[in-house]
Amino acid sequence: MQTPYGGRILEHFRRPRNQGSMAAPSASAEGSNPLCGDRVRIDLAIDATAGVVSEAKFTANACAICVASASLLTEQLRGMRLVAVAELDEAEVVRALDAEIPAARRRCATLPLEAARRAVATLTDHGIA
Amino acid sequence: MSELLGQLERVLEGGRPAALATLVSAKGTTPRKAGATMWVSESGAILGTVTIGGCVDARVIEEADRVLKTRRPKLVSMSLGDEEAWEIGLTCGGTVDVLVEPVDARNASDPLAVAYRAVRSALAAGRTVLAVARLDGGAGRLVVGDSGAIAGTLGDRGLDALVARTALERLRAATPSGVERVSSDEFEIPLYLERHAPEETAVIYGAVQVAMSLTVFARELGMRTVVVDGRERFATRQRFPAADEIHVGMPSEIAERLPATPSTYVVLVAHDYKYELPVLRHALRSNVGYVGMLGSRKRGATIKELLAEEGFTADELARLRTPIGLDIGARSTAEIALAVLAEIVAVREGRSAPALSPRAEMPATPALRDAHPA
Repeated sequence: MQTPYGGRILEHFRRPRNQGSMAAPSASAEGSNPLCGDRVRIDLAIDATAGVVSEAKFTANACAICVASASLLTEQLRGMRLVAVAELDEAEVVRALDAEIPAARRRCATLPLEAARRAVATLTDHGIA
Repeated sequence: MSELLGQLERVLEGGRPAALATLVSAKGTTPRKAGATMWVSESGAILGTVTIGGCVDARVIEEADRVLKTRRPKLVSMSLGDEEAWEIGLTCGGTVDVLVEPVDARNASDPLAVAYRAVRSALAAGRTVLAVARLDGGAGRLVVGDSGAIAGTLGDRGLDALVARTALERLRAATPSGVERVSSDEFEIPLYLERHAPEETAVIYGAVQVAMSLTVFARELGMRTVVVDGRERFATRQRFPAADEIHVGMPSEIAERLPATPSTYVVLVAHDYKYELPVLRHALRSNVGYVGMLGSRKRGATIKELLAEEGFTADELARLRTPIGLDIGARSTAEIALAVLAEIVAVREGRSAPALSPRAEMPATPALRDAHPA
């Protein structure tokens, strides 16, 4: 399979890291693109004492860009402070893909981050983070 | 749920003795085919019909009253003369055989109640079974599953063993319900073999235009339809009024929750690998009877390559039918749906699907195509 978006996307699409779901995540949230149909869910295990993500996993029925972005993001999230997750820059997530992402496909790349932020927000809502 | 099992549930809930009348054989022009059932309760209540009403049902009701008194099954044969046939709306007559049996809804170990509970369990597990009844006046029911498992009895262990062997052969040959005589040195008995198969369900991934035609045509074929998509705006009741179920969410996770039996047909028309790959990872290793995917040969080959890299075997990948459907020259979305469902029927029946006419190889003429532009 070829993608016009470069080797890193293809590598993470074909061999995604941290793919799967957690039986009992500390926080979980789904992101979807209502028109193209991309769906991704991020599961987080939280070390509440340290206030960091101890493990991150994802499930996606999504395009190569979105799957690769979720794979890269979940690698990055492990060990990250919850405050830092909320402050993660979209441009940084897109840059991590190491490819020119057209404007029309940018949301595919940022959907996993959107889901991760929402998952962290549920913890904040419950006064955990 | 089949007509019979639905009726039985109501009869058992009623908790009163009733007679079950089953149309086991019909020759000539008859309004209903073998397998039609009617219940007549001790109090005279009637559920279902073995004809379309009229003289045959009236006669069956009379016999049912007798059977409820004697507690013994009876095979009732009736010939419909032309005059009687006119009265029930037919243009010519026929012959019907109706088996009338007592069922005691108060008794949990009633042989028919026990047998049909086994039928229900087998169907819930996605198995096909034959429920076998004696037509020689003997009571009981033997349920034989496609795995060889049996439940119930026809009243004699030797007969049960003989019938189980015959039934298993008929199950493997997908023989429809019907009457058959079994014989051995010991027995010479006519039987009614009643086939029960799980409800056929077409699970359609991708709430697109082709899917809309698929739900309409599949319903006409007696199949349930389930539409799955990740997009709320596409998978709507307004777009799919004929669908039995509509699911919006992660298609691969929905696929894991839905039944996957030999009577389940997976149809991928999303034309998007984001759904195809995750659903195929599940479907190709499940027990479903059909897996088809819309797309070109090249696209199909690419999808298969990706799955092969993940460890899918050649046998698993060979289950995927792509391009989907029979080669009927389908152009419109409705025609594609027709081609897909025709392929599903052919797969179910184990047919290669050539035309029945000896002129099958003759292609459509250019003039014919020109008369019906896409």
